[in-house]
Amino acid sequence: MADLAFTIISIALIIPISLFLGVIYAFLLRKFNARFQWRVGPVVRMYSDLAPVIGSTRVWQPMYDILKLFGKDTLIPASAHKRLFTWSPYFSLFFSFAAVLFIPFPGMPLLSDAPYSLIVASYLLIASILFTILGPVASGSPWGAIGARREVELFLVAELGFVASLFLVAFMKGSLVIAELSGTVGSIPMVLVTLLAGITMFAAMLGKLHIKPFDMPEAECEIVAGPYTEYSGKLLGTYFLAKIFVLYNMVALFIAVFLPPVSSSVLWLPLYVVAALVLVFLLAVVQVLNPRYAIRKALTWYLKIVVPLVILGFIAAFALRMVA
Amino acid sequence: MSTHIKILKQVLQKYSSPMTLNYPSGVDKNRMYSQIPEGLRGFIERDEEKCVGCRACYMVCSGRATKIFDTAEKRTVQVFHFRCTYCAHCEECCPEEAIKMSKKFELTVTDKNDPKAYVNTDLKMISCKACNRPYLPEKMQKRVFERLSEKIDPKVKGIVVEDYHKTEGFCPDCKRARGVMLDTHTKKHVWLEVV
Amino acid sequence: MGLIDRARIYSPWVYHFHCGGCNGCDIETLAALAPRFDAERFGIQLVASPRHADILITTGCVPKQFIPMIKRVYKQTPDPKVVVAIGGCACGGSLFYDEDPENYAILGSPDLLIPVDVYVPGCAPKPEQIINGIVQGILKLNEKATRGKK
Repeated sequence: MADLAFTIISIALIIPISLFLGVIYAFLLRKFNARFQWRVGPVVRMYSDLAPVIGSTRVWQPMYDILKLFGKDTLIPASAHKRLFTWSPYFSLFFSFAAVLFIPFPGMPLLSDAPYSLIVASYLLIASILFTILGPVASGSPWGAIGARREVELFLVAELGFVASLFLVAFMKGSLVIAELSGTVGSIPMVLVTLLAGITMFAAMLGKLHIKPFDMPEAECEIVAGPYTEYSGKLLGTYFLAKIFVLYNMVALFIAVFLPPVSSSVLWLPLYVVAALVLVFLLAVVQVLNPRYAIRKALTWYLKIVVPLVILGFIAAFALRMVA
Repeated sequence: MSTHIKILKQVLQKYSSPMTLNYPSGVDKNRMYSQIPEGLRGFIERDEEKCVGCRACYMVCSGRATKIFDTAEKRTVQVFHFRCTYCAHCEECCPEEAIKMSKKFELTVTDKNDPKAYVNTDLKMISCKACNRPYLPEKMQKRVFERLSEKIDPKVKGIVVEDYHKTEGFCPDCKRARGVMLDTHTKKHVWLEVV
Repeated sequence: MGLIDRARIYSPWVYHFHCGGCNGCDIETLAALAPRFDAERFGIQLVASPRHADILITTGCVPKQFIPMIKRVYKQTPDPKVVVAIGGCACGGSLFYDEDPENYAILGSPDLLIPVDVYVPGCAPKPEQIINGIVQGILKLNEKATRGKK
């Protein structure tokens, strides 16, 4: 009974926490990006003489963007399949938000100790991205269609790396429950294999979050705004909100599965924050240093580098299990 | 990979000191501008004292930004900033050196009829004695006479000035009609002989 | 002031719309969004689709062939929206336009077709001036949004 009450309270708490952290991550991604490009980026402290007019800080910039979009008109193109077009952003948001509940936060296991929670979480994350493909296809715009097609191609390979690296760890530790994966550290060779899986997971994250070498679905100078071309107002805001949740999810999942003890107890909270910051920083570094790949090159990159690494990991994990 | 490291090194060099200016912040003195070159041509400034309304700027204006409006009382010389291309032809050709290109460049207006977008100079007109048509700004007439008397050969100065006063106040058409009265008229003697 | 109203001031998204002309103003516009002036400090972002935009930046005079496109882009921008005309051509037609004799190819400034809210004269305007214009546009945007509510 006490367990149930705690779970309910923690679910109520994780909504603002995940939103807060997601916004902070998105802000940091933008800020690091800007600083790497020798510019200021969204200001943390506004110039004192401008502060009364345009606000004292821009840390909540991603949130403001979304709020503004909610205050705008929503246009629905005549060529769109109306029902799919209007509902897919909400489904995307729903799935990405539902995935939040299955990923542990330090001190809050949430639903991560439910059976098969790893499979559920990865399915929810995949479903969220699936609806960012379905909506644009329903819009009837050629740009949306091209963006969606690129998204599908990237989705196939990035998702392969994502799922394979998650299940590599699961296979090694013999569990499909995120709470168990994040609780047990294992022996030193196990940690090494987990790190290897972490590297492939990082590569998959780049594809899922559209970080620079793999941002061809949103290539602004090529295909207008890619999948989001026809979206405006509330629907676009919903997609952006879903994106923020996905960002939070990916970072949280990475820390939960690949940095094992960090998200198991409240005491690890400072380390959790540091790990999240480092992860976002690394994402920003990759984004700044790389040009956009062509879609074919991205596919071959994943198949040549990520897939062999994962296979290597699986062989190592199999050997470890045989020894044990 | 080595190029990535090279880029990263370069990127991290200025990580703590970005090159962004604090532009909209800082009122007046603390405001940081980008480089303002020495020869920057900003908005036109016209010295109302010096301008005589000779239409030279109107004739050369490449963007047709300069316009002349004549009424019975005044001539308005106007520059519309929206259409100005800052070619400085008017500065070059102005005989009175009344036009200067300033270094001001910050101007945004929300209405096309905003007085900030125009540079107007009003000049008093004089009307023709005979046909009552406004034909020349008073200032210009004065100035033309001054320049004429400066540059003319002293041998013929007497006749010319006398002639000038004879037809003062007539518009060009009326002046031509009365041309025969002038001592400097080339065919005056011929005409007299015929009569 | 509500949260959404405040958010509207905080995150104006800009769609850069080149109608025609010499491209000088476009270069300056991009300079205004580049690291030297970094408009992202104030949440100004360049977006690729007019459907995401709050502020339409138009540069250049409108050729007659371009009339349907500019009307369509204006319609595709969701309300509340503001149009900022940048450069002499977009403000008054400049070199390329005259009432008499009429140019056979060039219509003139975009305000003959769509309501322009802020004018930024200059040939080409300096990036400072463009940022000024965008700031004016933001204020106008807020004004429009609150008026629409009443």
